Amino acid sequence: MSVLPRLPLTVIGGYLGAGKTTLLNRLLSEPHGQKIMVMVNDFGAINIDAALIAQADGDTISLTNGCVCCTMGNDLFMALGDALDRCPRPDHLVIEASGISDPAKIAMAARAEPDMAYGGIAVVVDGQNWPKLADDPLIGAQMRGQVQVADVLLVSKTGGMVPPSLAVRLAALSRAPLMDLADLPQVAPVLLGGVAPAPQPGALPGGMAAHPAYVGWSHQGPEQFERRTLEALLAARPAGIYRLKGHVLSPDGALEVHVVGPTVDIKPAQSDSTRMVAIGLASQINRETIAAWWASAAA
Amino acid sequence: MLRYPLGKQGEIMAQITVYHARNIITMDKNQPNATHVAVRDGRILAVGGADCADQWGPVTHDSTFADAVLMPGFVEGHCHMMSGFIWDYAYAGYHDRIDPDGKLWRGKTDIETVITDMRAYANSMPDDEPLLTWGFDPIFLQSERLNRHHLDQISSTRPVAFLFSSGHLMCVNSVVLDMVGYDAATNVEGVMKGADGAPNGELQEMAAMFPVMRRLGMDYRTKAHQEKYIHQFAKVCVRAGVTTATDLFATITDQGLAELKRVTAQPSYPVRIVPTIAAMNAAPEEIAAQAHAVAAHSHDKLRLGAVKLMTDGSIQGWSARVRAPGYVGGQPNGLWNTPPETIFALCEVMQRERVQMHAHTNGDEASEVTLNAIEAAARKHPWPGARHVLQHAQMMEGGLFRRAAELGVCVNLFVNHIWYFGDQHAALTIGEDRAARMDGCRSALDAGVAMAIHSDAPVTPMGPLFTASCAVNRKTMSGRVLGPAQRITLDEALRAITLGAAYTLKMDAEVGSIEAGKRADFAVLGQDPTAIDPAHLADVPVLGTVTGGHVTLL
Ligand SMILES: [Zn+2]
Repeated sequence: MSVLPRLPLTVIGGYLGAGKTTLLNRLLSEPHGQKIMVMVNDFGAINIDAALIAQADGDTISLTNGCVCCTMGNDLFMALGDALDRCPRPDHLVIEASGISDPAKIAMAARAEPDMAYGGIAVVVDGQNWPKLADDPLIGAQMRGQVQVADVLLVSKTGGMVPPSLAVRLAALSRAPLMDLADLPQVAPVLLGGVAPAPQPGALPGGMAAHPAYVGWSHQGPEQFERRTLEALLAARPAGIYRLKGHVLSPDGALEVHVVGPTVDIKPAQSDSTRMVAIGLASQINRETIAAWWASAAA
Repeated sequence: MLRYPLGKQGEIMAQITVYHARNIITMDKNQPNATHVAVRDGRILAVGGADCADQWGPVTHDSTFADAVLMPGFVEGHCHMMSGFIWDYAYAGYHDRIDPDGKLWRGKTDIETVITDMRAYANSMPDDEPLLTWGFDPIFLQSERLNRHHLDQISSTRPVAFLFSSGHLMCVNSVVLDMVGYDAATNVEGVMKGADGAPNGELQEMAAMFPVMRRLGMDYRTKAHQEKYIHQFAKVCVRAGVTTATDLFATITDQGLAELKRVTAQPSYPVRIVPTIAAMNAAPEEIAAQAHAVAAHSHDKLRLGAVKLMTDGSIQGWSARVRAPGYVGGQPNGLWNTPPETIFALCEVMQRERVQMHAHTNGDEASEVTLNAIEAAARKHPWPGARHVLQHAQMMEGGLFRRAAELGVCVNLFVNHIWYFGDQHAALTIGEDRAARMDGCRSALDAGVAMAIHSDAPVTPMGPLFTASCAVNRKTMSGRVLGPAQRITLDEALRAITLGAAYTLKMDAEVGSIEAGKRADFAVLGQDPTAIDPAHLADVPVLGTVTGGHVTLL
């Protein structure tokens, strides 16, 4: 087993002009405290505040907050390998998928690769143009496919409200939580998840997830689960949790768990306790519900 | 010691060599056949009989090719320099294949032969080295699917990975599965499982293959333009009689460009290389700027400046974008690799910036959308000499060919498919009617489209005479003639692999025929392709090439 922590990968999907780069610009300038590596097709639309740029050379821009932004070249997967080999390894890798591509084909690499962790697929849906794109005879199937594989749907350009007809269409295609980008005070909790489990049980440490719009829950304990039991428990998680991660003890060794939206990924790990963190939107879930769900299984 | 003649000013004149051959097929209307060709300074001075160059001064007669037949050096308008380094891996395919050094790798027509041959090969390797193979294609084997148990019989101690010829699949042994931690609990799309719930060794698509490739060092990004592999690629070309070859989806780094420039400039380097930049993953303006920037590095044997678009997928992978009536098995339409909106944007910028485009379009819908995009771009930025090329263009029919002709768009048809996949196309992908007209050389020529034909090596082996034979005979692997109405004449096919392909690279004024003033690029053949039964065209032996007057014999 690798000594370095796994590199979580989040993939941002969505068609041209949906607002992927706006989202990335937001992410890079938020106070998330993580050293994120963002990979894009081209720097064209990336618009980083000059004050944040520490160094720019060729295909890499280094920011003063420790993040880097780079282009991926023509072999995306080998670029993943470069990110893994980068020293020091970033805390989180975020890839902007090209407009027509299937983000699941990239994100699946994080489930396959032992040194990576699944960080989910966030698909940016253009609140104005998506219905038209989804019905386009040439690209409609690929547009709908992106929504089908999403772990979280972020709607842009809503002007304050996701149109109900759009919400219905999206819900018919996907179980992923739907969020209006305009409503999110910060995007890092949605794209990256929580930080390390809090020392005091029941609450997340300060910083990003402490924002009142988000609910954070964390737990540490000695409990063990058979893998099957754990899978059943995760399948029965309360709606409204959009990210859940941590380590769980099991009779055959510890397991690392990453849940994003509807997707559950489990890999072998090393840990001396069960430690979990969950994040949801305050408007959809509260800490007590999450705690009660976990306690019911631990009992 | 050679004595050089002096010119009027007393300067040393280059030597004139007059080659004698059994027959010289010139592809030049003015003089279709000859027995002698005179070469000076890397260019053709005169063509005709023994005395053809006498008016130019003293000549040296050379009988190296006295028993051979010369043709213009063949032009491979769509292949990849990966054809050079792929031979680092062991060949495990169904068909006989010859490696760059001339070694014959017997085709393996059943799984038992695959296992015994590859086990023998593995035993010749150092103990700790992984066995990597290429060329295996399950489509040709009737037996059970290749799985890890088969590969465990090859070796249970060293990693074994078979890269399938489509590039989207591999099969690995248990050592590799352990290395990447794939087991019964793995829940990854593309990690295929057997009846016992454990991974069976087959890995589909890059996400599942990537952890293996990363650990076994299968990183191809910069390999093609390393000196060793630039030379390997040349060997592949010489064996096929090819003197001009493309690298049709190249990632060009500063270092790779420097190597390409240096190695191809060596007088003994036998191929003119035409790399085209991958027009992906960057803004169109940036791609055009890179095309212009690298174009400045061109020289006699290195031609840069064109780009390659990737529009759709492949027909046999059901990922090509096809028009009605779609796929015969009811599969959903294929996938765009570049969305139509971006195809339009790329065409507009390339047309405006005078950058020639080669566009991969397998399905007819992809061809049509690309023609629409070129038409729109041409209306805004007229450029009569653009010569954009639709590559593969396998499903174009009369209507699309006529539009291509109107727009001055060329096609480079993947006619090798008729032999390799024709039976599958008729039965499984697009059905009889459209398979019969696919790679429709006759329709293209009748519509007046400038046409080339290609191998897409290493997808199918480089061999323009084989490719020409596919266009002339349209035989499939099962022996049937698929779409006899689309057959073209021998002369038309030979033109397609010489002048026709040169035209698509804008090099037809320079190579592609044997006539005065052109570069002395020849394919040296052991038989006269115009004097045999066209059914045997593919068997005509290639003895070597001449490139800019430099002789390379096998
Ligand atoms: Zn190709």
